[in-house]
Amino acid sequence: MSSAPSATALSDATQRAGIDRSLRHPVMFFLTSGAAWLAVSILLAIIASIKVHCPQFMDDCEYASYGRVFPAHINTLIYGWGFQAAFGVLIWLMARMSKQECRAAGTILSAGHAWNLVVLLGTLGILDGRGTGMPWMEFPAFVWPGLLVCYCAIVVWSFIQFRVREGERSFVAQWYLLAAMIWFPWIFVTANGLLFCASGHPLMAAAINAWFKSALMFLFFIPIALGTAYYLAPKLTGRPIPSASLAKLGFWSLAVVAPWAGMQKLAGVPLSGVFLPYLGAAATALLAVPLATAAVNILRTIFSAEEKLPKSPALHFTLAGLMGLLLLAVAAIALNLPGSSLKLTQFSISGYGFEILALYGVFSFMMFGAVYFIVPRITCREWVSSRFINMHFFFSAYGIVAIAFGALFGGFIQGSAQEAWLQPWESVTDIVRPYAAVSTFAWCVILFSNIFFFVHLAMMWLGLGRPGGAPVLMDSPAEPVTPASH
Amino acid sequence: MSLRPFILGLAASFGLAWLLVVIVPFVKMRNLEPVTLSKETDGAVGIFYPKRSGRIVNGAKVYAENGCYLCHTQVVRPTYAGNDLYRPDWGGLAKDPERGDTRRETNAYDFEGETFAQIGSTRMGPDLSNLARRLDAAVAAKGSGEPAALLYAHLYDPRRSPETRKSTCPSYRFLFTRREIKGQPSNEALPFGGDATTELLPGPDAKALVSYLLAMKKDQPVPAALNFAPPEPKAAAR
Repeated sequence: MSSAPSATALSDATQRAGIDRSLRHPVMFFLTSGAAWLAVSILLAIIASIKVHCPQFMDDCEYASYGRVFPAHINTLIYGWGFQAAFGVLIWLMARMSKQECRAAGTILSAGHAWNLVVLLGTLGILDGRGTGMPWMEFPAFVWPGLLVCYCAIVVWSFIQFRVREGERSFVAQWYLLAAMIWFPWIFVTANGLLFCASGHPLMAAAINAWFKSALMFLFFIPIALGTAYYLAPKLTGRPIPSASLAKLGFWSLAVVAPWAGMQKLAGVPLSGVFLPYLGAAATALLAVPLATAAVNILRTIFSAEEKLPKSPALHFTLAGLMGLLLLAVAAIALNLPGSSLKLTQFSISGYGFEILALYGVFSFMMFGAVYFIVPRITCREWVSSRFINMHFFFSAYGIVAIAFGALFGGFIQGSAQEAWLQPWESVTDIVRPYAAVSTFAWCVILFSNIFFFVHLAMMWLGLGRPGGAPVLMDSPAEPVTPASH
Repeated sequence: MSLRPFILGLAASFGLAWLLVVIVPFVKMRNLEPVTLSKETDGAVGIFYPKRSGRIVNGAKVYAENGCYLCHTQVVRPTYAGNDLYRPDWGGLAKDPERGDTRRETNAYDFEGETFAQIGSTRMGPDLSNLARRLDAAVAAKGSGEPAALLYAHLYDPRRSPETRKSTCPSYRFLFTRREIKGQPSNEALPFGGDATTELLPGPDAKALVSYLLAMKKDQPVPAALNFAPPEPKAAAR
């Protein structure tokens, strides 16, 4: 009798090892090159941020002009880091949850290389002054079809894996990942097709661009982050998700509400439906419901564990990401009240704070958590240094808190100054400077933290991880093995 | 959960919003009906023809490529959405010597000739909807100079003039070229930055951008159907 479960356990372990082995190269490639793009993006963010409070900085260099560096920063953050981290995590999670080995690692890896090449060309295009001038779509027009083809070649296998999974069961995490996989091409083709290939009214083009930004955030990055958290939380604590109906509510309310959001950027703009921006504002405020519902459900999973949880890095990052998610839910309401706050935040730095909070404070933190969970499994090595992980966690957290609070709050101050029409306009410019200085400092801190992340990850990629031994926890004693001894 | 109802659910929830927020407004705004003028309110018949001159297409491209939209907006919101109209020189000029108060909100015809309306991201700098009107007023107040020259000087070095010493605008020196003077100095040369043998000239991109910016006069009179200004106050009503 006792041999049966152990045989199943053994075959399960073999299967998991097979899946991990089959995905080893694509996942490591996406995560490592994503981390490198993240470092590039943060470096560009620092340059851009310095220029806001100190415009003389690198003023003679054409390629470092604020109007080019800032778009390069946000686009590398999204397409260089964000998407690649999402790919790496998504293909692994889908394979594991569907219990299918990946049979197309070569195709995925080639498409991943092509993705990197296309993003590189796009970034150089922006810096060389060939940007399109549409936020988050600044890559020159030839880039988006390339990205779309690579995207399909990368994620279609995960879709097939879900289709042929063992049994009829599906996990909450899979809903989010699967939905993100379907939403993204729809959003991407709509926005790029209408803006690059069709000729419409210029104001509607701007409205579609605003919608694209919001949809990319809430129908791709946030679902990937939530799917990851819904996978990691029960895995790490050994507890089930407490409420299936809450999970359903969280998912479907996101699916219903998020597609309406985004056009609040155009409040007061003479679109042919002047209500569209206010519909967008209402939808964005309503997004607090799906975000908070999911956050509460996952947090309850984590806190339902009776015994004291080990200080696993994956759990730490996921918890921090959930805190970011709650803050994002509050900010979604606070920034978008049509009668009071929308007119203050519409053209202020709060918008940037909100985006960075979503992309870094929520999405990236969840991805970091997943990286700390996945990489030891696919490389069969343990992380080298708990100190590196601690540095990464705390400096990233301090940095994002400073940026998010600085920009969200500073945006309100800036917006109030903009609305004070009796004051000369110059007073508004002065108000932004201290917040830009905070942002520069915070990006430096985040860059510092991510150097540890990148070096650590690269060491794992190169096979320099610790072979065997206990998993590295955040309060592990000083590391017994130094990387130099390998 | 099986795949088919899941995908149908996604298609329904996303598709409805997609249709109503993106596709229908896109098609509706694709060919805006021209505004018909009426005899009693506009004093003319026919259609309203929005006027814009200058190198709109080339200039908008340079504007986009160099990220001007990151700090400058191009929209004067109605009073329900913000206080832009109250500023004395954003929606037009509060005290235009010829037309009086010309301020008005932005309308859908103000972006004629552009493919993407640069509404803008963050107002680090002022709104540009009526930049050329402000420059005209500045030139008139000074009694000399040219709006284009002010713009070239600003693009070359935004912190050159004492009034804009604290500007955080990047300088666009790379849009200008330095050239050796052969024979007569060029009449396009900047009044500064040159020396005995060389002069500073705006490049093609700088010229396109300045032409585009000089077309920023979005305060021309609009037909009554587009005019949301409150009726003129009666003279000396207190």
